[in-house]
Amino acid sequence: MERIGISQWIGSVLHVCSEEMRRVCKDEGALMFFILVPLLYPLLYAWIYNNEVVREVPVAVVDCSHSHESRLFLRMFDASPDTRVAYYCNNLEEARDLVARQVVKGVLYFPTDYSLQLRRGEQATVGVYCDMSLMLTYKAIFQTAQTVALRHNGEIQVALSGAMTERDEELTVHPIQIEEVPIYNATGGYGNAILPAVLVLVLQQTLLLGIGLLAGSERERLRSGKGFATVGAEDGMVSFIVGRALCYFLLYVVMAAYVTLCVPRFFHFTVLSTAIPLLALLIPYLLACVFLGMAVAHFVRYRENVILLVVFTSVPLLFLSGVSWPKSNFPACWHYISMLFPSTFGIRGFLKVNSMGASLADIRMECMALWAHAVVYFFLAYASFRKLKKQESQLPE
Amino acid sequence: MIKLLVGISLREWGIIRKHPIYWFCLGVFPVVVILLFTSLMSEGQPTALPVGIVDHDHTAVSRGLVRKLDAFQNSKVVAHYTSVAEARKAVQENDIYAFLYIPKGMTEEMMALRQPSLSFYYSNVTLLAGSSLFKDLKTVCTLLTANVGATKLAAMGKTPREIEQFLQPIVVDLHMIGNPWANYNVYLSTIMVPGLLMLFIMLLTPYVVGTEMKFGTVDQWLEAANQRVGVAVAGKLLPYTLVFLLVFYGYEWYILRVLHFPAQGGVMAAACVGLLAVLAAQGLGLFMFAVMPSLRMSMSMCSLWAMLGFSLCGATYPVFAMDSMIEGIAQLFPLRHYYMVYQMAVFNGYPLSYCWMNVAALLLFAFLPWVAFRPLKHALRNYVYTP
Repeated sequence: MERIGISQWIGSVLHVCSEEMRRVCKDEGALMFFILVPLLYPLLYAWIYNNEVVREVPVAVVDCSHSHESRLFLRMFDASPDTRVAYYCNNLEEARDLVARQVVKGVLYFPTDYSLQLRRGEQATVGVYCDMSLMLTYKAIFQTAQTVALRHNGEIQVALSGAMTERDEELTVHPIQIEEVPIYNATGGYGNAILPAVLVLVLQQTLLLGIGLLAGSERERLRSGKGFATVGAEDGMVSFIVGRALCYFLLYVVMAAYVTLCVPRFFHFTVLSTAIPLLALLIPYLLACVFLGMAVAHFVRYRENVILLVVFTSVPLLFLSGVSWPKSNFPACWHYISMLFPSTFGIRGFLKVNSMGASLADIRMECMALWAHAVVYFFLAYASFRKLKKQESQLPE
Repeated sequence: MIKLLVGISLREWGIIRKHPIYWFCLGVFPVVVILLFTSLMSEGQPTALPVGIVDHDHTAVSRGLVRKLDAFQNSKVVAHYTSVAEARKAVQENDIYAFLYIPKGMTEEMMALRQPSLSFYYSNVTLLAGSSLFKDLKTVCTLLTANVGATKLAAMGKTPREIEQFLQPIVVDLHMIGNPWANYNVYLSTIMVPGLLMLFIMLLTPYVVGTEMKFGTVDQWLEAANQRVGVAVAGKLLPYTLVFLLVFYGYEWYILRVLHFPAQGGVMAAACVGLLAVLAAQGLGLFMFAVMPSLRMSMSMCSLWAMLGFSLCGATYPVFAMDSMIEGIAQLFPLRHYYMVYQMAVFNGYPLSYCWMNVAALLLFAFLPWVAFRPLKHALRNYVYTP
């Protein structure tokens, strides 16, 4: 193979890129995965979680004490934004039936001697029964009950302590002023926590699906003798791969910008990202995903098999990125397996940049890992295409 | 008719043996998925989550506070930082999920009753870590506050019981019905794994019918069924029903008998819910193909339906908290009904009659292909594969 000049090499890259663009535009399936899904799926997803928090969880009350104190507790419990008293029941069996029918998510139980014990200066118990099928409702009910109990305790202590001034009262109840500050995702919203991860994962999965679909078509055409996949690789495999990668990269630069900058703003999710860290993260991430797609795509025998192989990995990859279950608690083998996928580092980096306003220095590990991915998968893609070319050259003309 | 059914099923079995993709989707991937989720969250509750400390007080009290925090199950003190800014940077770098800030002179002010402030900062970016650490940090700070009162009362000569009664007149007696350990493995694996199994079923069903079209073997297939489309489709899908029932029941056996997940409903409820899930997923998959006889389109719609089902089933973020329009849309997804039946009949042990609407919905999904039987017949006879 004769050596070619730089300008000829660039020309070859651009030629392959434009050919690939043409191929993508002619393939309905690839268009759907490259353009339609990244456009619409994030919108649908964000709409589902738009309310972010759980409010007014219905609770049933079994008040056997029928006293002023229990009603005080219940009024405060009902006043909380997270819970509301929905039903009054005569006994726990009735309340249990309501939980069974899913109309309430928990039960508050006041024993008959609740008021009596309080007035005697003994400990009174409020029974809180939570349906554990939903963690968010359990949290809402339990935390509200705790908070109301704490407030009441404070008021009782003030009454009993015989404090002289208001300041004295304050000091009895709160000798130390405790401040709880949620930094980053201050709303504690579910959408704020999950959505950035899903947005970044959608980019990888749709890239893999689209590239796999195109590669599957190529293999089928190859097998049926209808054409050659590596047309345009005469000037060298590297320019061929770079040209194809350039095509996908250009498409996805637009998609990534839409997904990371527009979608969170449409739904008023937290956006703390700045230009340089975002670019420094997304460029190697897209390159790594493109090369990963090109490397594994040719293992797919038939076009539609790629859907079977890629779609189910979405949920496991979301979990392996550490957004639901903290990464510090992964067993070692899953920790190492998670490092094989660009989405792990892409999601972690994007969470840092978008939800925590991280700077370039903070995401250096993720950026380095993604560049390493890009390089390794480039070589894998090279090997994969060389094998394909060899298969083609062995076919009868 | 039975003979025809068996004949087509055996033919299908031969196809399965020839193509490795089926072995992967029927056997390898479901097992990997089951093992992944159950082993990833095998701890149940995230323990030893990294926490940082910014201690400007440097007294016995502050050190005692830090030791107490470290002793809690969910938190582990991994680093001491010299300033709040440094600790915040550590949160940004994901080294810690929360930190406690003890200001200078806190003990002194506490003794002198000048109401010092004690603050903790936690990150909700990983919701589970944030809420676990919030619980621990709040408890340890409240204990310190209580300690101040307790010390004073003890000095006054009160008995421990009297101190307890003064400091905490109202006690919340929490009963976590069904999952007393707040085990996240029980909570998440029991919806993620069935969701993924139903995804496999929903994807494979249009795939197997569509590939007959793709490879032009529809005539041969219908011939084996004496041109009866119903028998042909039933015979073709029967091996998959059996294998997926085996996989689903294997998963249920694994979580109920090996991992001992709490399930007050018992074996019959679990068997029922497994059967309903497999039939509903297959029914919906076949219906999708009948309505959109393009292999790629029907598979894409099925994957969309299955993926959206994870969010819309309401297992993590409840459906009643979503917009009302979405509450209605959620009923169109089989995973939502599976979750309701599982949660009411298997997890909580209530009779199936309480969730009869969801059971009916799952049966409806299973019988959907009957509604689209004519279009399916038409498609199989006349349509051509489009890539």
